[in-house]
Amino acid sequence: MDCDKCDDEAVMHAAYSGLHMCADHFCRSVESRTRRRVREDNLLPDDASPDDPETWLIGLSGGKDSVVLTQILHDTFAEDPRVELVALTIHEGIEGYRDESLAACRDLTEDLDVRHELVTYEEEFDLRMDDVAVEDPMDMAPCAYCGVFRRDLLSKYAAEYDADKLLTGHNLDDEAQTALMNFFEGDVEQMAKHFDASLGAFPGAADGGGDRDGTPVRVSTDGPFVPRAKPLRDVPEKEIALYAQLQDLPAHITECPHASEAYRGEIQQLLFDMEENHPGVRHSIMAGYEDLAAMAARAYRDGGGPEYGECERCGATTTRAVCRKCSLVEAVHAAD
Amino acid sequence: MVTVEVVGEGTREIEPETLGADPTYADLVRAVDYSPHEVSVLVDDQPVPEDRAVDADHVRVLRLIKGG
Repeated sequence: MDCDKCDDEAVMHAAYSGLHMCADHFCRSVESRTRRRVREDNLLPDDASPDDPETWLIGLSGGKDSVVLTQILHDTFAEDPRVELVALTIHEGIEGYRDESLAACRDLTEDLDVRHELVTYEEEFDLRMDDVAVEDPMDMAPCAYCGVFRRDLLSKYAAEYDADKLLTGHNLDDEAQTALMNFFEGDVEQMAKHFDASLGAFPGAADGGGDRDGTPVRVSTDGPFVPRAKPLRDVPEKEIALYAQLQDLPAHITECPHASEAYRGEIQQLLFDMEENHPGVRHSIMAGYEDLAAMAARAYRDGGGPEYGECERCGATTTRAVCRKCSLVEAVHAAD
Repeated sequence: MVTVEVVGEGTREIEPETLGADPTYADLVRAVDYSPHEVSVLVDDQPVPEDRAVDADHVRVLRLIKGG
């Protein structure tokens, strides 16, 4: 079975496009889609310059998605003096799991000569996820605690490193799952937040802050939080795994022992089944959802955003007296 | 007879004829209870398109890894 673009042996079939591709054309395709997303979302503003470069903080977990993201961003921007890349790894304190993924992060950043920073839950919060998962003071899935802690640290260090943007390795499957979850929960406000926080394109200098060529752009309603972007969000998860494999990237292959998001798992299985019977479903979900989220964002913005203050304990930006992370850390230590 | 090794989970023997005429690697994947969208199929450690007709007697199936 041959590549549709040349005569080499095909390594994959993209059912949604009908294309069979060899290793080389497939990898070029993943890179092209990522770069196109960076361009279309206007991640690199016109006024970025060698004298005033953009700093992009990459959340690097050591898993396939963030490793592939770091590699492609490096290949694209390492020689571009308008962009500085910093990779941030967070060690959650999961026995045998994060130590392996950390090794992958170090291998990659050393190979690429990308600046790498490491923070740990233990140093920041005096807790480890293995203990949190056992104590479970709020009766939540481990992912729920871990997600709050991780996002807090990503935001904190993005501010500390004066990053202009925070880039994460979310893929097409991740985003389509989130879109369906928001839709099934009927959470229109969350759709609006999703758009303005990470989904919408950045306004360009020529846009005067408005919508460009009819393409909706995000308006920052996240207060002082560093804006987020997801350059891999057009690429299916399986293709990211295949890219990492073909490029021999040091992505770790150990599964988190606490991974368990039952509802998201149901959505994931639904999407697998739909995509198998109707190739292209994930792409069409995202195309429609982006428009829908843009409309929701426009509607919710008119009401003004929430009032941001500082957490009484850690000073982080929050809409509450005490931020969610401090509340959870307190609950964990109360259960010690 | 095809040996299907799901890496990290174990090995199963599958008789291709039980999957219908001209089974593909996608059929093998479904036979071991996975979606073609959540695994990569390797023949001689090279990835193969899932819609290719089964032409090997040993197949490795790599699952996507979930993060924390």
